[in-house]
Amino acid sequence: MGSPLRVVHYVNQFFGGVGGEDQAHVGVSARAGAIGPGRLLEKALGEDARVEATLVCGDNFASEREADAAFALGAELDRLKPDVLVAGPAFGSGRYGLACALVCQIAQAHGIPAITAMHPENPGASSARRGAYIVPTGASTTSMQAALDVLAPLARRLGRGDALGSAEVEGYMPRGARRVHDRGRPGYERALAMLLDKLHGRPYRSEVPYAPPERVSPAPPIADLSRARIAMVTTGGLVRKGNPDRQVSANAVRYHRHTVAELESLSPAEWEAYHAGYFNHIVNSNPNYILPLSFLRDLERQGKVGRVHEHIYALPGVSTPVAVSAAHGRSIAEDLRASGVDGALLVAT
Amino acid sequence: MISAIYNFALTTGANRVIRGARIEHVCGDPTLSPEKDYAFGMRIVTSALRTLTVAVPGPTLFDPMEAAHAS
Amino acid sequence: MRLEMGTFPVTDIVFGRTTRYEAGRLTVDRDAVVAAVRQDPRIASAELELAKPGESVRIWPVRDVIEPRIKIEGPGVCYPGMCGREIATVGDGRTHRLAGMGVVEVSSVNWHDAGGDFVETYLDMSGPYGEMYPYRKLLNLCLVVEPDSTLNEEVKNYAVHKAALTVVDQLGEAVRRLTPPEREIFELAPVDPKLPKVVYIWCVHSPQAMSGSPSAFCTATYGLTQLTPPWYLHPNEILDGALTGPYRTAFAMSWTVANNPLLLDLYRRHGRDWNFLGVISLRTEWTTQTEKQLMANQTAKLAKQLGAQGAVVTWDAGGNEFIEVVRSIQACERLGIKTVFLTSEDDATDGAPTMLEPLPEADAIVSTSFFKNVTLGVPDAPAVTRVIGLPTKIVRRGSTIGLHGGVDGTALATAGPLPPPWRYDDHYGFGSLSCTE
Repeated sequence: MGSPLRVVHYVNQFFGGVGGEDQAHVGVSARAGAIGPGRLLEKALGEDARVEATLVCGDNFASEREADAAFALGAELDRLKPDVLVAGPAFGSGRYGLACALVCQIAQAHGIPAITAMHPENPGASSARRGAYIVPTGASTTSMQAALDVLAPLARRLGRGDALGSAEVEGYMPRGARRVHDRGRPGYERALAMLLDKLHGRPYRSEVPYAPPERVSPAPPIADLSRARIAMVTTGGLVRKGNPDRQVSANAVRYHRHTVAELESLSPAEWEAYHAGYFNHIVNSNPNYILPLSFLRDLERQGKVGRVHEHIYALPGVSTPVAVSAAHGRSIAEDLRASGVDGALLVAT
Repeated sequence: MISAIYNFALTTGANRVIRGARIEHVCGDPTLSPEKDYAFGMRIVTSALRTLTVAVPGPTLFDPMEAAHAS
Repeated sequence: MRLEMGTFPVTDIVFGRTTRYEAGRLTVDRDAVVAAVRQDPRIASAELELAKPGESVRIWPVRDVIEPRIKIEGPGVCYPGMCGREIATVGDGRTHRLAGMGVVEVSSVNWHDAGGDFVETYLDMSGPYGEMYPYRKLLNLCLVVEPDSTLNEEVKNYAVHKAALTVVDQLGEAVRRLTPPEREIFELAPVDPKLPKVVYIWCVHSPQAMSGSPSAFCTATYGLTQLTPPWYLHPNEILDGALTGPYRTAFAMSWTVANNPLLLDLYRRHGRDWNFLGVISLRTEWTTQTEKQLMANQTAKLAKQLGAQGAVVTWDAGGNEFIEVVRSIQACERLGIKTVFLTSEDDATDGAPTMLEPLPEADAIVSTSFFKNVTLGVPDAPAVTRVIGLPTKIVRRGSTIGLHGGVDGTALATAGPLPPPWRYDDHYGFGSLSCTE
């Protein structure tokens, strides 16, 4: 077969035998050979594979000092030059999962194939959609062997330089690279076949795997609303009357920023809705229903809100690919942050 | 985020979600008298603003019709 | 309910002196049929034209394709409740159908005038675009019809669809007294109690939310298009056209509903692979969370009360309608009903999920590929020699959605190369296109 497969295993402080939560702050260290679950991993990898070294890092270090962790891990990987990096499995541990995703990213940046494993709802799992190979596991360590049984063969093939097949076939979490594929049998036949399999307790595989949602850390609360600058954003398709900006009614490639500095309220004489996904006429009689300027002005006058931000943002939130929507969101957020806005109301239809 | 179809906002990761009236008129209700429509819309908006002053652990739904949000 | 369906395969259509059917050839008395249509004073103009498989013909605008079916024995009429037709419950007795053909409703009338919803579909009888749809294999008798322009939009819709149904009735008369070459009995006979009980949850768009009207034109159940709670339908009612009328997509025509391969296979394998309990029709596009969840809960409850152990779910729309559909699936699973969801997918750029609200309970999905023609990479349909209908089609580019009709677009010659409508969307799984990682 050739030389043995050289594997580096990444684990957190707990699996690395350093300690529990109290040791979550420890930095990156490298130990020779396999530690803890790494021994099970080595066994699962088979005869001609070795866990050459184990990289250990505290979960808090990886999350709070990400740049330092990345630097140290990168340096170790450059020194060790493994054929493949295996991280975790992290199961349901959120910080551990994020750290595993991070080290895989670093490995890939250093030209080393990498793979990890965790529960699909682990926050680290959203990295699958950014190209990381992640094998789905149960939530707890009781599924360790089952996880390794799937993970190890894939790690071997990655280490040997093989390309993996589709997620559906290989069993890693879908990375979202959907493409058109003719399955050779009409959809109705496949649906009824899948129904029979499901009813009779036979294994079946969904043609669209479940994609757990991304989790976003909530922004910290505003201390004092009466001193806060508040902005408004709407996906209700608000446009100036007559749509002089030629905004489309769906799948917008851009959003529009309007100034409301001189306005007390949105008047139906000057504004309307242009959105292909709902009945626009009600908003046409009162545009404040989807962008509550009249209410905010009232509250501003009463001193309950510090300032109403002079810009509002509008687009029609329908039929827009998620990637485009995310780009609009990032751009609007950046604009708001640069303007010193403290909080924003987003009205969706 | 103020929305009439709020559950899907929660399941896709929005953290502060306020229940709106209806897709076609999120902040108010045109079937009410103008005064009541405005009061209803104000209730929704003030409870939305209040959520900005509160820490949340993750996706959380706020119902403007609950007493805590009465202005 | 017991329905004997008599099928008369149509292998050719010609115009002639009387409307008659003989050995596969349907002769149509064009003048008599047009005269019947024009008896309605709301009709301003009407013409009949033929489009045959393989011809270089394009039909535009296509509002509906209807298979002629006529009630011979038993209560009611086929396509009950539409455009003022009788509403007696159908599905019993005998029905005759003309197979291998469609009556195509071609008119410039739009669905409603509240905006956002435009007639988009055109059909080719040959070429790569035509190949994507089942209609190019049908002999299509096209009714090109326009109503009195002073009527309001809802009445215009009613008038032109009624005209198409008039043609359907006229053709049906030709086979009323004949013996059908093919016969099939449809009934849900008692079966082996060990067979799993399955139900078909059929989600259908209601135009009520988008149009602001409970009586806007669209796919209808006994003529009703408004938002209603889930409705149990015996599959024979569907065969007699109780669920009929077009939605906005090419695969949501009266013809595809009456010839739904999923429904037919569920029915034909009753007693062999399962105990088919029937259809639960759920209207979609309710506009509050509460209403959506209520419909989902009630759909699942109805399925459970019928005894369902399994369910297949389809839908015909997009957008927030997904929510009541996926929550019906969730509600069924939580009641122990095993579900399979047959659906298309949205754009997956940047690894985004291809469903609006993925829920873990929807764990058995069959995908009919991306629903947008632009994501599918469907090229412009090639130029054709002949057009039935309007000489121009409005297209609006500038966004990757494809195109919508609308007054601010560009008018292209219908006969020239033409971008496909923005949605493909194989609702009932006619084809084998899908997606994979």
